Amino acid sequence: MIEYPEIDRYAALDSLLHRFDPRAKIIAFLFLIFSVVLIPDLKIAFIGFFFAIFLLILSGIPLAFVLGYLKWVAMFVLSFFVILAFTFPGEELFNFYFLSITAEGLYTGSLITLRAFSAVILIFPMIGTMRFDTTIKALDRLKVPNSLVQMLMFTYRYIFVFVDEFQRIWTAMESKGFKLRTTLYALRTIGKALGMLFVRSYERAERVYQAMRSRGYTGNPKTMVEFEIHVKDYILAVFIVGFAISLHVISFLGVV
Amino acid sequence: MREAITIKNLSYTYSEDTRALESVNMTVHEGERIAIVGPNGAGKTTLLLHLNGILHGTDGQVEVFGKSVDKVKREEIIKDIGLVFQDPDDQLFMPTIFDDLAFGPINLGLKEDEVRERVEKALLTLGLSGYENRCPHHLSYGEKKKASLAAVMSMEPRILVLDEPTANLDPRSRAELIEIIKGLNEREGITIVTATHDVNAVPTLADRVYVLNKRIIAEGTSQKIFSDVELLKENNLEVPEVFKLFEVLQCFGYNCEELPLSVDDAIEHLTRTVETEGGHIHLHIHKHTHDQVRKLKDKYEHH
Ligand SMILES: Nc1ncnc2c1ncn2[C@@H]1O[C@H](COP(=O)(O)OP(=O)(O)O)[C@@H](O)[C@H]1O
Ligand SMILES: [Mg+2]
Repeated sequence: MIEYPEIDRYAALDSLLHRFDPRAKIIAFLFLIFSVVLIPDLKIAFIGFFFAIFLLILSGIPLAFVLGYLKWVAMFVLSFFVILAFTFPGEELFNFYFLSITAEGLYTGSLITLRAFSAVILIFPMIGTMRFDTTIKALDRLKVPNSLVQMLMFTYRYIFVFVDEFQRIWTAMESKGFKLRTTLYALRTIGKALGMLFVRSYERAERVYQAMRSRGYTGNPKTMVEFEIHVKDYILAVFIVGFAISLHVISFLGVV
Repeated sequence: MREAITIKNLSYTYSEDTRALESVNMTVHEGERIAIVGPNGAGKTTLLLHLNGILHGTDGQVEVFGKSVDKVKREEIIKDIGLVFQDPDDQLFMPTIFDDLAFGPINLGLKEDEVRERVEKALLTLGLSGYENRCPHHLSYGEKKKASLAAVMSMEPRILVLDEPTANLDPRSRAELIEIIKGLNEREGITIVTATHDVNAVPTLADRVYVLNKRIIAEGTSQKIFSDVELLKENNLEVPEVFKLFEVLQCFGYNCEELPLSVDDAIEHLTRTVETEGGHIHLHIHKHTHDQVRKLKDKYEHH
């Protein structure tokens, strides 16, 4: 069984971050993510990393759930780390045969790895603490271009249908004795299955569009949602944004 | 009675070699319940898409309450006529059930509290109260089907058009949905047009039936259409099981002229027969019974 990509699985928990106004949350966290990604100093990157972990713990989202996603990020980032460590010019630490690890490479690699992990971890307390449709509605209220909002909205809705459809095609193939191998025959069959998936998606898109027009769609669907911002939201937002700024202030002043 | 839908000489071709509709004529009166039956690929869905102007006939015209669908703005038409698609995953395109039910009313330009009222009412009608924040992908197929209907009912149309409402449903959801649709017609006088190849649902869902196979092949009461076994055979349609059963009973000496088509009919029928025949029903095997049963089976096999 293929699993649904459900980043908002823990949206129904209750925490300070779950109660945070969606619009303020998005702005504050985006600010923090940008700030973390731009940190120039390894020690400060550690502070940022621990702050990200702190917010994740605050959100109450189970660590195991986050690790499930992080392992994919890790595969990507760590390969980057290795390449950097070996190729960055600078003072040599070790060398095997013609490869050598430099201190600068190690430093830059660690910095980039840490920044990437912090940024990805921060995504969870940001959008994992509300239903994804709330995120979309908040983006809409934040005046994100409507076409982008619609794209997110329909992608979110139909990714599940798509997964189901793929599952059905796959089951049908397996029940006819298909086994995944690297033979030309298997590849051709997979190609056909993907083609079928593509055609079905295209047909579905047409029918969905018909259904939308049948209910008065003319280009920009409106949604109804009540967001209320309170003093506590401002405080929380100021706290997060303030932290994001101070990361750079202390790095600039060279305090750490 | 006002004419709710009038179709005159409607033809439609998707491309040179797929002529989906050929000169279709049809009239539906306000408050009527109509079924359009026909085999797969007969053009049922294509016809329904003409009713609110999603498709435009290559020839002919469609009027809803006297207004030509091609000439009036779509908002005018969709206020009157609601189309429920066969696949609920096509119909439910918003992230949550609330958003989906609110979609139509918002587009009709209703105020926020009116929209909320409509959504609540539609949820109540379909027995889905409390589902507001659910996402479609967390619902069962039966629930999705009901939610699809609710998403159209929140627009409060006078005409409800349903594409295969009973397809792929488990028996319980199927019965529930049929009851709900019947109720909408009885309580609120909503005109119902159902396209289906589920002939067992037709007698309960329709007073009058059109047989469509690119062209209109036949029109009449369920009784008339379903007694015409040749017609059904030619158009790859089944005969309702209840009808077949009573034909079998006839072979055993059960006495009746008009055979019942649905369970409700059957109950009424049996009651009447018992009363007129002095408190019981008399069945027996006579010398032709076996021959007749064999003939009957021949009639329905090779289908
Ligand atoms: N989007 C389309 N493009 C081309 N041909 C189509 C399309 N939709 C349906 N058809 C063809 O039109 C005919 C009628 O289809 P349809 O209206 O879906 O029938 P039904 O709903 O009775 O099963 C079929 O032959 C079908 O293959
Ligand atoms: Mg169809």
